[in-house]
Amino acid sequence: MNKATQSRLLPSIKPRTKWVLLGLLVWIIIPWKGLEYGLFESTFSEILDAYAWKSINTSLISLSVFLLILLSPWRSHKKANLIEAALSISGAVSVLFIAAFLNESLGYSAAIHLTLLLLIFALALARMGFIQGDPFMTTAIVLIMASIAVFVLFPISTVFSKVLFLDDGTFTPLAFYNNITSFGVGRTLKNSLMLAVSVGMSSTFLALCFSLFSVRITKRFKGLTRIFSMLPIVTPPFVIGLSLILIFGRNGTINDGLLALFGNDGLFIGAGNDGWFSRSAYIYGFWGVFLAQTLSFTPICFMLLVGMVSTINPAVEEASVTMRASDAQTFYYVTLPLLRPGIANAFLLAVISSLADFGNPMVLGGDYDVLATEIYFSIVGAQLDYARAATLGILLLSFSLLAFLIQRKWIGKKSYVTVTGKGSGGYFQPLPAWIRRIATSVTLFWMLFTAILYGSILLGGFVVNWGADYTPTLAHYEELWARGMGYGAWPSYLTTLKFAAVGAPLTALMGLMIAYVTTRKRFIGRNIVDFSAMISFAIPGTVIGISYVLAFNTAPILINGTAIIIVISFIFKNMPVGIRSGISALSQIDKSLEEASLTQRASSIRTIFTIVLPLLRPAMISAIVFSFVKSMTTVSAIIFLVTADTQVATTYIMGRVEDGDYGQAVCYGSVLIVTMLIMILLVEKFIGRSRIERA
Amino acid sequence: MKKQESSRVQLLNVVKSFGDNTVLHSIDLDIQAGSLTTLLGPSGCGKTTILRLIAGLELPTSGRVILGDEDVSVLSASQRDVAMVFQSYALFPHMTVGQNVGYGLKMQGIAKEERKERVKDALDSVGLDGFQDRYIDQMSGGQQQRVAVARALILEPKVMLFDEPLSNLDSKLRRQMREDIRRLQQELGVTSVYVTHDQDEALAVSDDVVVMRDGEIAQQGSPKQLYLQPNSKFVATFMGDANIIQGEVIEVGQKTILRIDDVEVETDRPMDAEHLGKNIEIAIRPEALSLTSAGDTSQPGLPCTITTKAYIGAAIEYSVKWRDQELFLISATGSQEFTIGEKASVLITPPGIAPIPGK
Repeated sequence: MNKATQSRLLPSIKPRTKWVLLGLLVWIIIPWKGLEYGLFESTFSEILDAYAWKSINTSLISLSVFLLILLSPWRSHKKANLIEAALSISGAVSVLFIAAFLNESLGYSAAIHLTLLLLIFALALARMGFIQGDPFMTTAIVLIMASIAVFVLFPISTVFSKVLFLDDGTFTPLAFYNNITSFGVGRTLKNSLMLAVSVGMSSTFLALCFSLFSVRITKRFKGLTRIFSMLPIVTPPFVIGLSLILIFGRNGTINDGLLALFGNDGLFIGAGNDGWFSRSAYIYGFWGVFLAQTLSFTPICFMLLVGMVSTINPAVEEASVTMRASDAQTFYYVTLPLLRPGIANAFLLAVISSLADFGNPMVLGGDYDVLATEIYFSIVGAQLDYARAATLGILLLSFSLLAFLIQRKWIGKKSYVTVTGKGSGGYFQPLPAWIRRIATSVTLFWMLFTAILYGSILLGGFVVNWGADYTPTLAHYEELWARGMGYGAWPSYLTTLKFAAVGAPLTALMGLMIAYVTTRKRFIGRNIVDFSAMISFAIPGTVIGISYVLAFNTAPILINGTAIIIVISFIFKNMPVGIRSGISALSQIDKSLEEASLTQRASSIRTIFTIVLPLLRPAMISAIVFSFVKSMTTVSAIIFLVTADTQVATTYIMGRVEDGDYGQAVCYGSVLIVTMLIMILLVEKFIGRSRIERA
Repeated sequence: MKKQESSRVQLLNVVKSFGDNTVLHSIDLDIQAGSLTTLLGPSGCGKTTILRLIAGLELPTSGRVILGDEDVSVLSASQRDVAMVFQSYALFPHMTVGQNVGYGLKMQGIAKEERKERVKDALDSVGLDGFQDRYIDQMSGGQQQRVAVARALILEPKVMLFDEPLSNLDSKLRRQMREDIRRLQQELGVTSVYVTHDQDEALAVSDDVVVMRDGEIAQQGSPKQLYLQPNSKFVATFMGDANIIQGEVIEVGQKTILRIDDVEVETDRPMDAEHLGKNIEIAIRPEALSLTSAGDTSQPGLPCTITTKAYIGAAIEYSVKWRDQELFLISATGSQEFTIGEKASVLITPPGIAPIPGK
């Protein structure tokens, strides 16, 4: 081996030394321990006490590892890299475990030290030939796996341990059984499942009608796809529930109308009589939540089905007709079976969404309790029963994981529709008349209904008190927006924007990186990354919330009550957005492009920057915008995590709803809708529309 | 472009596994400097894996890869002096033709003026000078192919790798491109390794052909050697059509004499004495067989019945039944014609007779 080769083989001694020195510097100037009141609100002596050199603490571990690595007494040993890798990773792990044991909460410089240890670990792995000896990719994978371990796997494991252990650490194997059989759990579970299945069926049926309508019946409503692609994205939680209350609620339009006609003072009854009708709260309970969820999830199912309906090759229907099949037979024996995987997929997607939904049952559930809301009520208020919340969380997680697994393993691969990119000739056969009639009338009715509901949201903010006093007013807007930046909706609105702006790029980056390494690289542990990515698709927000509360309320990572935890929960809650757009974008990029770049002497890091990132840019932008928008509408994951200082838009709206102040709630909701619409339209302008509809 | 220094490529005892799946079993391969060597085999035989091992896109599980006199076994693709033309061309869609071709030079930090000059040269050598500012999607399939070749040769690599470069072209263009590639390769004298599953292509362009099967090398040799002296039934049938017939070795030495039924034939292929008197398999190319009337006794032949007959323009293809075996042969149009069901006699005339030694 000549000299040039040798130096190419050992490229990374320098960064390692640099990092060790950085570690020492950080140790001196940045506090090691977590500050209970944050950097800016702690007293000077509190900050001083947090420095590593003020006391004996876990920084001794990382420091000694750094020192050993700097000296490298094993330098000439043939397993030097293995020794270094083992030393750095065990250093990082033992800092965490010993800090947990000593109840020492870790702060900024601890975080930096842990990251540095991981970087040293990654470089050592790369020198051992991990990922073809690619230091950049190895580092990325190590960091991804570490953050998944800390922010996904660790919190979920805490939920399980909460159920299996008492607070003092005693093992109570029967506690889970006791909790699960305790009063109300069975009913809640049954409620959740019944709701999920019903909503799954109704949303799928409606979505099927819509997609047949928009692809096969008329092209006049071209905007339908577009509107439906946007609605679920820009609709904040609670808003559909609220609009249903405005229309169907006790003081809603329907009640008012019926009362005016048939009530005790009604038009047809005459004064003084009892009337045939009195106010009713029929919308609260199963049917209200059912309606709200169907409204919320039909667009999602539609987006899935419309793609399938429009990629059916007309030639197969033509073939069927040439074999003497009638239109009805063709639809029944050819078209419908081709759509079957899509239908099953849409159904399961709606089931998963319904199980995870927190906003609608919160507003409309009444006595009809479901898992997502019961978890919340187990923690807030008088109960404060973490074990019960954890039990419910496990149930919820298992059922949505189950539905997700079925969707992925069983149906995911059974798609008959192949996208070849070749335009296929031929014309669709006309659908049977009765199907045309059903699809058309259902679609038109539902569109009208949706329009009325969204209209009521916009209008609801401009009347004094919907149901009681329809006098036009700007009072709600003034109350929320005109009393100065420190009052009304401003603090929560700005906090939301701030958190979303910090979280979104990180979410997109994390998601794209995961998409990249899981689709393009083979490495040990890829299954773990794959599995965690899958969990993040299926995990309901409430479960993230409860697991974060349980995991990050104690040392070594005590970040509850901070803004950091909210941003982190945004990242891991919305990661699927990034992963999905990454995977779909990467599947369009031929892998050999990167290989061509590598054989053209570009290093892997330059390949990423000159080839992968430019080609991924549209996906990157859309991932950033959509995680931004999703952060703005996240409620379930952060409901346990916000404090007075970190109140965000959704939790503020929830507060208004709980106070019965629907006017302000819908008014805030419409402002959020407009904000998000503007963002999405701006992005469309830059990267084109088609990509958005795909995302 | 000028003639450049070229290198020998060696794979020593290379094993490659993906998890439990071993795709290459202990490969030893020697590719001469300046030659064009084809890796040929059915899909899944490991030929592309060998190419990627030479490129550095895969690292061997064990064994060594040597380029010239440098052991590159653990070097990544970007550290090796090789260039590759991909099956899909892998042209960067967000760059112009000029940027694509100049990409590798830019990565090496070569100044803009020199880059421009060399891009012009490289494009010129594939007949595309003047297309620098076009985007890839504005080029036809054949042009894209040429851009990919230009991008590979601009780096003046020690080794050029071609991964089924012509499989996306139609058959006419394919013929022309393979001649162009061969001409460029000979002008530059660069060692080239070429993967294909098309034996015609392999025979047409190569100095040397490596036939692969199930992760092992079945045979390596010149196209003529492989066609006329296959060392296994697999190679014989993979390199063109062959009738496999049993026959007895009745004489060894300078020439080998074989007896098939009552017909004795002579072949250039030397055989070991151990085969004398043994029954072995013989691969006979269709062009070594010809038909004559059943009553013709001037030469000894195999009695047969015509089963199928297909007129294909320049020739007529026959299938005939001899004993319980189907034989396939081609006879030039204009020679005596036979009808289906007719009795005839099959004559065997060298060349195209290849005894297969071994099992």
